[in-house]
Amino acid sequence: MKKFILAASVLVAVYSCKKTESATKENTTETTSETPKSNNKIVTLSGGITEIVSALGHEKEIVGTDVTSTYPASLKTTAKDLGHVRSMTIEPIMAVNPTLILASDKDINPELLGKIKSSGIKAEVFHQEYTVEGTKKLIADVAKAIGNTEYQKLTDKIDADLKQVQPLSKKPKVLFIYARGNMLMVAGKNTPMASLINLAGGENAVNDFEDFKPLTPEAVIKANPDVLFFFETGLQGAGGNEGALKMPGVSQTNAGKNKKIIAMDGGLVSGFGPRVGEAAVGLNKLLVESTK
Amino acid sequence: MKAQSKLYFYMIISTILLAIIAVWSVDTGVYDFGGQSAFEVLGKVIKGDPDLSLSDRYVVWDVRAARIIMAMLIGSMLAVSGTSLQGLFKNPLATGDLIGLTSGATLLAAIAIVLGGHFKEYLPEAIQFSLVGISAFIGSLLSMMLVYRISTSGGKTNVVMMLLTGVAITAIGFSITGFLIYISKDEQLRDLTFWNLGSLAAATWTKNIILAIVLVVAYIILLPKGKALNAMMLGEKDAQHLGINVEKLKKQIIIIVALMVGSCVAFSGTIGFVGLIVPYILRLLFKSNYVFILPLSAVCGSILLLTADTFSRSMVAPSELPIGILTALMGGPIFIAILVKFKKSL
Repeated sequence: MKKFILAASVLVAVYSCKKTESATKENTTETTSETPKSNNKIVTLSGGITEIVSALGHEKEIVGTDVTSTYPASLKTTAKDLGHVRSMTIEPIMAVNPTLILASDKDINPELLGKIKSSGIKAEVFHQEYTVEGTKKLIADVAKAIGNTEYQKLTDKIDADLKQVQPLSKKPKVLFIYARGNMLMVAGKNTPMASLINLAGGENAVNDFEDFKPLTPEAVIKANPDVLFFFETGLQGAGGNEGALKMPGVSQTNAGKNKKIIAMDGGLVSGFGPRVGEAAVGLNKLLVESTK
Repeated sequence: MKAQSKLYFYMIISTILLAIIAVWSVDTGVYDFGGQSAFEVLGKVIKGDPDLSLSDRYVVWDVRAARIIMAMLIGSMLAVSGTSLQGLFKNPLATGDLIGLTSGATLLAAIAIVLGGHFKEYLPEAIQFSLVGISAFIGSLLSMMLVYRISTSGGKTNVVMMLLTGVAITAIGFSITGFLIYISKDEQLRDLTFWNLGSLAAATWTKNIILAIVLVVAYIILLPKGKALNAMMLGEKDAQHLGINVEKLKKQIIIIVALMVGSCVAFSGTIGFVGLIVPYILRLLFKSNYVFILPLSAVCGSILLLTADTFSRSMVAPSELPIGILTALMGGPIFIAILVKFKKSL
């Protein structure tokens, strides 16, 4: 607590010194096309947006993030972790004295959004679509919000990465299982995972519902996936490969019989930020290996 | 007259205690006002100081003060509703949570949250805005009527029946809420689970004004009922002989309690056990003298919930504990204590 008060007061002191400077710079960003680094103090409330801001070279301006912002890892030491956007309250956000709040419409709690709007802090809420085009648009939107026009290299990198995706002779059916404690959910249509699986050359195993639904043995058997796909932390929590194979219904599926279980970093897979191409290539490699 | 001055004495003492806790709560939080104390900032807000930064003003006034007032209003109403029900049913276990009112209110509020999007546009605008609140009130009123009908026969209320009806309503509420969770989206799901444990984080001045209106209307009718509730302890027939219109009293209490519990659930989610803890402690001090415990529970409810909320938002800062966890933690042991004490009479 003491440490935090100290840190907060240092931040306040630093901020009050820079206040006038940042105000003048903010005014110039609208008139000049070349944008120097602004003196924003940014709170990012979504892993994908955090990655975009960092990739654009503004990592040092991030003063607070949500729990899904796990990349770049160095942020954990420089920005305050404000918890999960669903249970976050406005005061801890204001305690880091941000000048700009960037959030995604997919997971922000409406109460918090209302409070952010009435707090008077400049805030942008972006609509996030889990497609390559959607990601490119998000990058452009975020870049505009922080006053940086040099985002082309990020979108180019996504295209370059995606070219490395190897075609698979037969599309494997991939079932994403979101495991957290005792709750097991599978990803249906219109989820970041389904979208990424398609990008990586696979086929999402469940297409009869949207979003995430609890896993039932019958549904798993009916979906009959060729590969089971987890977040690394989720798979660990579920007891590793052995635990996954013991999940109800799994042993009856192709994936269970052939022990095809893959896992990737959760932030990379679900962020749909600048690393979406990287994520697709990573998943593609795992799929190629598992279909050999 | 002596009793009256004793009541004033306790009212003043508890109000001072409440004020002290409110002061402590205003100064508790992660936001730093840049060298000033929260009171200085609050003072500037009240004086209308033009130099005050917008963020400072917002945190102290729209975040902390609004939340503190909401904790007081809701704590007070939950405690008074518990006390009134206990007087009406002559039983210390009769509270909004245990007889299913909270669950009924929660259920209808949850339906409004998850399914409201489908029919909201067909409703008049005034109702759209307060759809969740209105649903919660209807939910608690329906549960109250159901509990009353089932557990009362020939003018006598069977307490075991009443609690069991509460169990049944809670079970039904739980299962339908479970179904709603199944069909809700991931975001709605998180809202529902968080909301099931209660929180005052969404406090605003508009909500406080609505709650304050409910509170004033309810207390004008309820608080002078102490003597009538004392008479009810003798039994309904004797109360009637003393000139009390028992049926009217019952109806008034039932409707007002439903209104209070419903509006509290609508704005803060389910915060359990406040209506059990406060009257229990007061009864230890003043026996079942409702002339005392009814007005005192109005102040002590505020004290309890404000204290719990200040802890809930400072214990795991910058995140916060759902407040329902804390009140249930306090309420559970008291529930057991009451059960042990009244073992024979239940």
